[in-house]
Amino acid sequence: MRVWPWLLALAFTLWVLLPIYLIALSAFSPREAVYAWPKAFLPGSLSLETLRFFFGVEGVWRATATSLVVAGLTVAFSLLLGAPAGYALARFPFPGRDAFRVLLILTRAFPIVVLALPLAVLFLRVGLYDTPLGVALVHTALTLPFAVLVSASLFLSIPKELEEAAWTLGCTRTQAFVKVVLPLALPGLAATAIFAFITSWNEVFAASVLTLQNKTLTAYLLTLLDESPLPFKFAGGFFLVVPALVFLFLVRRYLFTLWGISHR
Amino acid sequence: MGSIRVENVVKRFGKVEALKGVRLQVQDQEFLVLLGPSGCGKTTLLRIVAGLETPTQGEVYIGERRVTHLPPRLRGIAMVFQNYAIFPHLTVYENVAFGLRMKRRPEAAIRQKVREVAALLRIEELLERYPAQLSGGQRQRVAVARALAVEPEVLLMDEPLSNLDALLRLEMRAELKRLLKETRTTTLYVTHDQVEAMSLADRIAVMRQGEIVQLGTPTEIYHHPADTFVGGFIGNPPMNFLPVVAEGGQVVLDGLRLPSPAERGPLLLGIRAEDLEVFPEPVEGGFAARVLVVEPLGPHLQLTLEREGTTFRALADPGFAAAPGATLYLRPKEGRVRFFHPETGKAL
Ligand SMILES: Nc1ncnc2c1ncn2[C@@H]1O[C@H](COP(=O)(O)OP(=O)(O)OP(=O)(O)O)[C@@H](O)[C@H]1O
Ligand SMILES: [Mg+2]
Repeated sequence: MRVWPWLLALAFTLWVLLPIYLIALSAFSPREAVYAWPKAFLPGSLSLETLRFFFGVEGVWRATATSLVVAGLTVAFSLLLGAPAGYALARFPFPGRDAFRVLLILTRAFPIVVLALPLAVLFLRVGLYDTPLGVALVHTALTLPFAVLVSASLFLSIPKELEEAAWTLGCTRTQAFVKVVLPLALPGLAATAIFAFITSWNEVFAASVLTLQNKTLTAYLLTLLDESPLPFKFAGGFFLVVPALVFLFLVRRYLFTLWGISHR
Repeated sequence: MGSIRVENVVKRFGKVEALKGVRLQVQDQEFLVLLGPSGCGKTTLLRIVAGLETPTQGEVYIGERRVTHLPPRLRGIAMVFQNYAIFPHLTVYENVAFGLRMKRRPEAAIRQKVREVAALLRIEELLERYPAQLSGGQRQRVAVARALAVEPEVLLMDEPLSNLDALLRLEMRAELKRLLKETRTTTLYVTHDQVEAMSLADRIAVMRQGEIVQLGTPTEIYHHPADTFVGGFIGNPPMNFLPVVAEGGQVVLDGLRLPSPAERGPLLLGIRAEDLEVFPEPVEGGFAARVLVVEPLGPHLQLTLEREGTTFRALADPGFAAAPGATLYLRPKEGRVRFFHPETGKAL
């Protein structure tokens, strides 16, 4: 009877999962297995050799540290700017509120490819070129629209009366926010944070164009990709994919509410 | 002390004028109910007193202090919200203690006060629970406990019983009445349920379209409505209004003769259903009407009658024999007839 939807779903699932599986398999296989053809579909012998080699390469640790700094800064900026903006969108009717919402999404209409070169010139001039801060600012520009919209819908879902009750019980606006709204918003804000982290972690174009010495892991791997051996590519690919998977698993509930389908 | 004074408060939301110059005084320790149909501005007025809304014009005083521009936390009020607004991430204990913690009371004093109000509201067993584990009635108690714990000068409640089922509402109504007699807190209470208002209030302020149309004790308002709106809004069934014509300072309806407030011209005669005595035969001082509907309601028989195109209601004994189509005779009880202006509806 209704077998087609299931088949379709299965096809899509395989489409996504198969490459990930193969990458993971290769990352944990010894060198010879990576080069072997035809590929073994089941792990023959697991080994950490490939991963060990990956982390032994000059500059990988430094790039990982840079990636962490950039992603951390991106998370901080996204939350510190995005949450208050989302709160304002949720609680205060101001002229042009709906237009503002649309504008937020429109910012994503400018491809980063177009923006990166002028930005590189500008960053060179103001001394942000080749700094983690510079890259983090660009990444924040990418994540901020979502941070604002997600936290706006988050704050909308917290009844205003809870805040008002806190005011009548002796809270200032700030105290009410910290004692009542924040604890309730925390899971959603965490999701926003992880989203910002992953976006920054995976972004490669801006990070490549705007840095020279201080490359993030993705940008660094890109420069190495051509001349590096196959096992290294697999190990690097695996290391880039894992955070995204963990993130998706953690926030799938919030993503569903975000698109208007309620969870539970 | 805990009195409230509202002076000429006007509130506009854009083009909507929610309050049109309201003046109201609630005495210390008084229980005053704001009563009116949906959308008449009750909640708006309450929120202005709470400081959750600022008036477009006018002033609010609590005790001797002018609080018009003070934030809620500095007004010495506590509020019970219609949906209770209990903090879902805190236990019942922490909810009740919330206001006390904000006042930086010592831990021992907080514990003692929480136990005290918990006992008053009979929620001692629930203190360790989270709001999600409570029933509607229990949440309602927690909301009241949280408000009373801070010992407010003034307690504000917005339809606190409207989310409960009918039986629980009756029970909580009696409970609230006992409680507020005990604590003697000045209370401003919003409802659109006239029975609730009659049962709880020291005085009722009846509102309509952003104005207070009558302020008085439940008895005054019930027996001497200021206009046909109040008479029709309060009481179940609503007050009957019969169009009559005065001549020579008298109103004559068959055998009924009443001195009229106007020398001549049309009037509305207002009489409550239970103030009409029903007879099967013509009586001295009675008028005739035809029965349309007979409803046995238990304690009495509710009759819907018709006379000269106007329908009205009367209550008879449960054993009274009446059938649709029959003619009955009705006599108003002594001193219960009111007259109203036929156009303005104002009492004469
Ligand atoms: N924030 C607001 N913005 C615009 N109009 C509002 C706002 N709050 C209330 N109003 C309008 O003011 C009028 C009075 O509303 P209010 O909530 O005070 O009525 P109410 O008497 O409490 O009614 P109900 O019994 O339904 O709760 C209504 O016409 C309402 O639409
Ligand atoms: Mg209301």
